[in-house]
Amino acid sequence: MWDGIIVGGGLAGLLAGIRASERGKRILIISEGVGSLTYSSGVMDFGDVEQLVNQEKHPYSLLGERAVRSGIEYFQTLFPEYQENWGASPQVLTPLGTPRKAGIVPKGLNAGALQDAQRIVLVVPEGLKDFFPEVIKSNLERSYPRSIVVLYPLRIAKFEPWHELGKSVAGMDYAKYWRSVQGIKLLNDFLDRLAQEMASEFYEANVIQGGSAIQRNAGNGKSVVVFPGLVTSFSKALEKVIAEAPFPVVELTAFPPSASGHTLYEGLKRRFRGLGGELLVGSGVKHVERHGNRCHKVIIQSKGKDTAFTSHSFILATGGIFGGGIEVTPEVVWERAFGLPLFIPTAWTSAEFLGEQPYARIGLEVDGELRPFDSQSNQVILENVRVVGRLLAHWDPWVEHCGGGVSLASGWFAGEKI
Amino acid sequence: MGFEQDRVNNLDACIKCSACTAQCPVAAVYPLFPGPKSIGPDAERFRLEGLEMDPSSIEYCSNCKTCEITCPSGVKITDMILRARERALYPLKTEWILGGRLKPRTLQHWLRGLVLGRAEYLGWLGTIWPSLTNTVLGVSFVRGLMERTLGISRVAPLPAYYSRLKGTSVKRKKGDVAVKSVPPSKQVVYFPGCFVTYNDALTGQAVVKVLEHNGYEVIVPAFHCCGVPLQANGHFHEGRDTIKKNMALMKPYLQEDLPVITACSSCGLALKEEYPKAGTLGANRIGQQTYDLFEFLWERHERGELREKFQEVPVSLGYHAPCHLKAQGVGTPSLRLLRLIPGVSVNDLDEGCCGLSGSFGFKQEKYDLAMMIGNTLFDRVQQGVIDGEFETMITECGGCQVQIQHGSRVKTQHPIWILMKAYGIT
Repeated sequence: MWDGIIVGGGLAGLLAGIRASERGKRILIISEGVGSLTYSSGVMDFGDVEQLVNQEKHPYSLLGERAVRSGIEYFQTLFPEYQENWGASPQVLTPLGTPRKAGIVPKGLNAGALQDAQRIVLVVPEGLKDFFPEVIKSNLERSYPRSIVVLYPLRIAKFEPWHELGKSVAGMDYAKYWRSVQGIKLLNDFLDRLAQEMASEFYEANVIQGGSAIQRNAGNGKSVVVFPGLVTSFSKALEKVIAEAPFPVVELTAFPPSASGHTLYEGLKRRFRGLGGELLVGSGVKHVERHGNRCHKVIIQSKGKDTAFTSHSFILATGGIFGGGIEVTPEVVWERAFGLPLFIPTAWTSAEFLGEQPYARIGLEVDGELRPFDSQSNQVILENVRVVGRLLAHWDPWVEHCGGGVSLASGWFAGEKI
Repeated sequence: MGFEQDRVNNLDACIKCSACTAQCPVAAVYPLFPGPKSIGPDAERFRLEGLEMDPSSIEYCSNCKTCEITCPSGVKITDMILRARERALYPLKTEWILGGRLKPRTLQHWLRGLVLGRAEYLGWLGTIWPSLTNTVLGVSFVRGLMERTLGISRVAPLPAYYSRLKGTSVKRKKGDVAVKSVPPSKQVVYFPGCFVTYNDALTGQAVVKVLEHNGYEVIVPAFHCCGVPLQANGHFHEGRDTIKKNMALMKPYLQEDLPVITACSSCGLALKEEYPKAGTLGANRIGQQTYDLFEFLWERHERGELREKFQEVPVSLGYHAPCHLKAQGVGTPSLRLLRLIPGVSVNDLDEGCCGLSGSFGFKQEKYDLAMMIGNTLFDRVQQGVIDGEFETMITECGGCQVQIQHGSRVKTQHPIWILMKAYGIT
């Protein structure tokens, strides 16, 4: 008998699992695949919290501003890499090099240093997949008109066989390499060489212009290096290397599968397992058994036969349409794990491509305790089940930019209550 | 027709998200391997039209099944790849028999597949005079010769041989239920697998003792190899033969509803996933009745049927979950159970595949890849021991045990040994 079973191993489910385990609960997380964090950038967006807490039925309004802030703060205490203060709205670079505002970001992704850069050095790792240096260069030039953007090639021996084959190197593989013992050493050497070249280049430029030594140093201090394919978060050794560099290093978010999202996933898993939690990846829930308005058992499809797990309470964190929590077929829309009734708007789509799309608000309606709620009969459907993350109804991450906030707040809240 | 339809459905389920390739341990270290998505679902479209792939790229799949565990859409990627391997290899066999223009390297790999696939025959030979076998296999000249003739790496950690695990099965006649010493509800069938039978009989005996300690009569028929090594080495026909032989041995016990228990993750996965497809009598029951050892013990614990008078075992351990245990979808029951023992602390490392993948890492051209795959795990194990986080390692899979010891020099055992200590039996 488990204290809690969490179905779904994404951001909300893992955070709930960590909080509950920290409180001494025996927790099992069941996840059908590796979850969609690997597709995310690792950047957390919260949206306009003050406005959304007043928006009827929005998860923020059900939880209240205090719970939203507590969830975010809890996440930051777990992962001090995400260090900005509430409301600071740091900037990050998109995979194409345009800056955008975010809620909280890992230290390495913070693009704030670019604001007063005189020179931006964009590192161009050979063969990096889904990476477009010329596009990024022109976007950086447009966004930071006071800076000169230069491209600086990087080629490492480890990936020579890839280059010889004309095969691109995935961002995940570059990131993994930098985290290895050998990679850290090489990164150190590379940054040293870059610093030397930058200094001498600047020296030459200044000699021609007759600049003094003081100006030289001041100028060098305003160079910023943008480094795609590097993820420093959750690695003390890498953070140290970057901290020792004579210039700020800004990481770049990436197209999925993304190393910074994956690193966060690994960090969450490690934390959860370290607290004694068990994570079962690869099998989905087939059905659940209920007694009246309580759930007591989930049955998962293992190889050969089914396996049943019983628990006092449950958290449903299976995600939305993309994550697999909701399935949409031409005939039916349904919640796949527990078969709970969904809120479905009458109109699904609007003609404006990037505008509000009502289908985004499909999900489970819940009460203030996040328990599935039937708004017609005004009754809680399952007393010992809480719903978290993307599966909740009445919110739209693309229009409201609150995906990270809803997952952190609801995940933390459910982990507190289990 | 049903099978063809399955292939189409399996293919349609893939949404091309590349999560499998991003997690594939082989693709990460070997650029010539296109990755599970490309040689699985991508190439399957062409295979359905009758275009088969060059076997040299599909033979680098190590059959670890990480892609299948990863896939958010439930695509049977490894299954696709192994079936494609079978079809791609079949013409080779014909060509060889007809004395065609087969490259010497291909012939060598074909023979090597037969040798490594027949873990059982090797075991029989090796255990006739184990110390002699081990001495001979320890001579570098012999290993050099094996590398040149068979392509088996001279540095690979081939496991040592010890005296064979003896079967305990009493030939029982149909219907003589009354003569049995214990009721059928207290009988179990144990499937030891080749590693335990020929290389680690002591672990096999420990499994039997723990089950007996819990009041079970343990029946160990003279099973053959589970068939996984043959299939993974491209000898599908022979693999199916051994499955049929084992199914015949199991039939009477399956009919009596006895659980079939194995402590080897790969045998367990085969019994649960491959055997039900055998089409023989009892095939519909084998998946239902097979248990991983700790899955079985945990179920007894949940029913209050497990003996839980544990002595304190003051030990801190690192745990590696074998890929083929993950693929079974039962979680990590050994971790749960060991954590009930006072004094035991277990750290679940989760550092991915060890690289060996059965016999993949024994092959000359793949040994280095296997070591590169396992490196993250080895580094973590060594660091954990240096930092005093844990003393030794545990993992269910015999192959993983051998590879982790080889790569990290840290002692690695089956978790049953901790339970033995807790029960105070030797």
